[in-house]
Amino acid sequence: MRDDFRDSKDRDRGDRDRGERGDREGRSRKRFNIAEMKDLVIDYKNPQMLKNFLTDRGKIVPARISGLTARQQRQLTQAIKRARMLALLPFTSG
Amino acid sequence: MSKPITNGRVVSQRARIGTQREYETVTILRPETSRPEIGEIIARMQEVLGSRGAKLMKLDSWGTRVLAFPIAHCRKGIYLYWRYLGGSDVVAEFERHMRLSDKIVRFYTVLVDEDVDPEARPSEVTEELIEAATDPGPDPDELARQAAAEAAAREAASESRRERPDVFEGEEEFNAEGDN
Repeated sequence: MRDDFRDSKDRDRGDRDRGERGDREGRSRKRFNIAEMKDLVIDYKNPQMLKNFLTDRGKIVPARISGLTARQQRQLTQAIKRARMLALLPFTSG
Repeated sequence: MSKPITNGRVVSQRARIGTQREYETVTILRPETSRPEIGEIIARMQEVLGSRGAKLMKLDSWGTRVLAFPIAHCRKGIYLYWRYLGGSDVVAEFERHMRLSDKIVRFYTVLVDEDVDPEARPSEVTEELIEAATDPGPDPDELARQAAAEAAAREAASESRRERPDVFEGEEEFNAEGDN
């Protein structure tokens, strides 16, 4: 059962609130802390930064896992696609 | 019939209003392109920009890089970054000339800013900057080989130190100084 991971308090908060630090126990997938991401500059000319948001196979990490805001995620996908055009990032790998 | 403003040339609407757009273009050249050849490409592109009333703001060489995937059978490429003010006609002409060059394997243009007053933006381009941009930079494969060799040497040094535990840190240097 999925809900076995959560304690009773978490269950009350519901799914929508679990994005903050209090992720479900053992299922914390957020890669970056929130403070760092607030002033994240997303630029297609910085492939080293963009690589953090790619899976091993070169796919773009979804927002629910990357923890980015919707706007940041839109900028990110645009930047990654531009970087791919310039062979700075792979379309696929592995 | 009134005289056409464009004199038959395709001119962007912005050029008539008096403001320009800011574009940036990244080009990838074949890795075997020599320094004078890069200089030639830069000179030609400057001419293209100048003839269309565009202003080159910045020119930068990112050096030779390994491509994430091969383009036109090239595994590596020399990256050049251009930023300029102009209209859409400038981009079309710029890209047309790039397509004609057999040294350029890929180019990509991005709109940075709209409605830029060309007078308010000073250009960063100088003779030295253009000269520096013609440098293709070191070969990444060569750099990787050097780094690997250095790491191996460091590994060997630490290995030999581990084999001689009786020698204290700094003792070797002390002895060497004493010999002189």
